[in-house]
Amino acid sequence: MTLLYPYRHYMVSIVLLASITLVSQAFRTELGLINIALIHLIPVLVIALHGKMGSTMMVTASSVLMFDLLYVPPKYSFDVHDLTYIWSFIIFFAVGYTISYQAKRIQTNAIKEIFLNTLSHDLKTPLSSILGNASILLKEQIIDPKTRRDVLIQINDSSQRMNRLVSNLLDSARLQDTQSALRMEWCDFEDIVGVALQEFRYNPKQSQIVISIDPQLKLFWGDCALLVRLIVNLIDNALKYTDEGKTIRLTITETGETIKIICFNESQPIKKADLKNMFDRFYRLEHSADIGGSGIGLSICRDIVSAHNGEIEAYNVQNGVCFEITFSVTKSPSGGLKELL
Amino acid sequence: MKTQELILIIEDDQAISKMVSLSLHQHGYKTLVAADIKSALRLIQTNSPDLIILDLGLPDGDGKGLIKTIRLELAIPIIVVSARHEEKEVIASLDSGADDYVLKPFSIDELLARVRSAQRRFLGLQPNVNVILCHELTLDIEHHLVLRKGESLKLTPTEFNLLKYFILHRNQVLPYPRILKEVWGVGYQSEMQYLRTYINTLRKKIEPDVARPIYIHTEMGIGYRFTCDTSNFD
Repeated sequence: MTLLYPYRHYMVSIVLLASITLVSQAFRTELGLINIALIHLIPVLVIALHGKMGSTMMVTASSVLMFDLLYVPPKYSFDVHDLTYIWSFIIFFAVGYTISYQAKRIQTNAIKEIFLNTLSHDLKTPLSSILGNASILLKEQIIDPKTRRDVLIQINDSSQRMNRLVSNLLDSARLQDTQSALRMEWCDFEDIVGVALQEFRYNPKQSQIVISIDPQLKLFWGDCALLVRLIVNLIDNALKYTDEGKTIRLTITETGETIKIICFNESQPIKKADLKNMFDRFYRLEHSADIGGSGIGLSICRDIVSAHNGEIEAYNVQNGVCFEITFSVTKSPSGGLKELL
Repeated sequence: MKTQELILIIEDDQAISKMVSLSLHQHGYKTLVAADIKSALRLIQTNSPDLIILDLGLPDGDGKGLIKTIRLELAIPIIVVSARHEEKEVIASLDSGADDYVLKPFSIDELLARVRSAQRRFLGLQPNVNVILCHELTLDIEHHLVLRKGESLKLTPTEFNLLKYFILHRNQVLPYPRILKEVWGVGYQSEMQYLRTYINTLRKKIEPDVARPIYIHTEMGIGYRFTCDTSNFD
């Protein structure tokens, strides 16, 4: 089913055309040629509203052909004796094109709006924390050391969060580019996890992260910087939804042909629909409005994983949630460097 | 700090140069600020600084060219400041003669640590000895030994050479090609998988927690840094 999903518009249009043909054939005399022509515009309208030019043109062409074949005299041939019908065909195409074009424009605008809203929210939240806390330090003459430290930690945290968001946006822009943007080299996941953990070294929950990596793990052919970002986003996400004192477990294993990364954190189960949609850009769980983050992290995880031809999924387990990533090993480092003790 | 060493900050953004200058002052350094290459060259001529902090993104030209020009005249440490996603620029400037780098956004602690360790290297405060201590590790060059907490480590010849190279060049960024050339030899500069594999096995032998290394730090896209100095973390 998922295989056919990208072609869903074509499927829908075929089904629509078939039923229209059935109805028109059954009530041909009652309806008359003009109404039948108008009915044949329905699939064009339905598909054009999705803003996909390719499928719109396809359905318009099939509508015109069916109409021509079955109703325009001479019937059961593609010949057209009365040239005024050519006008009808041109109008079909004009309608399809115009609606499709407009629908596309509206969609792009909607995405832009969500993008801007989320971005301004996610940049402004940490920024206002930085500004607010800095002005406390500037205004107050006497601050006790503990408050002062708390204020500074807040500034530091917010700056880190902004920094992560900016890195994510930059990487995201890089991923929107073609495949060639990847900088492939041999990557050591142990190394990558080490670099990723560096980002959280001042996080008080840092010690709750338990790492276990298969000691026999082979090198992986990938873009190391992006893989670091993948692990950072997974850990960042887990930290956000894990309470103090609860465990986060990052496990990496290898089974010859695949490398599996599993990030587990103790939390409430996630709703079924959310498990799938979580990876969509700017999607955020309903109850999580108060938790800082852009909803961009997991979508970048998905982009990074698919750029490496891997798969990512999320599922509930007993008292927690798992994010599982599977990479297939397509390339192994050449041997010949075994050395005896 | 007893000496009043002079640091030249070449940076066109005032907010950054002010912050860097202020914190260097607090740590006992004198500073000068140049906002472009032209005034930087003039200040170098007239003041002979002891160290240079150089932002690669300057308005009037290429930072790498400036590094080469400085190198022709002065033997002083140069620390490069660069934005993320510019690893190629960093590597090129290290090749041009820069000694170390920090990536924006950097913390002042990080920058100060780099300044201190670059200075130590230049002042030759690391005497030529046969036994070097580094946290729990002891490198005995003469006897071809590495001890961890007093116990001898079993290392392959390549592992030993790699660790020796690291400890001799501790606290300093080492680009991948340089390590490969120095440890494996000319012609191995692009054999990244050798390096990754050996770093992995070496870490398993010397690091208390491989996922949170304290000795071998990865500088993503650039190289490794072997850390011996606890003051790097203060």
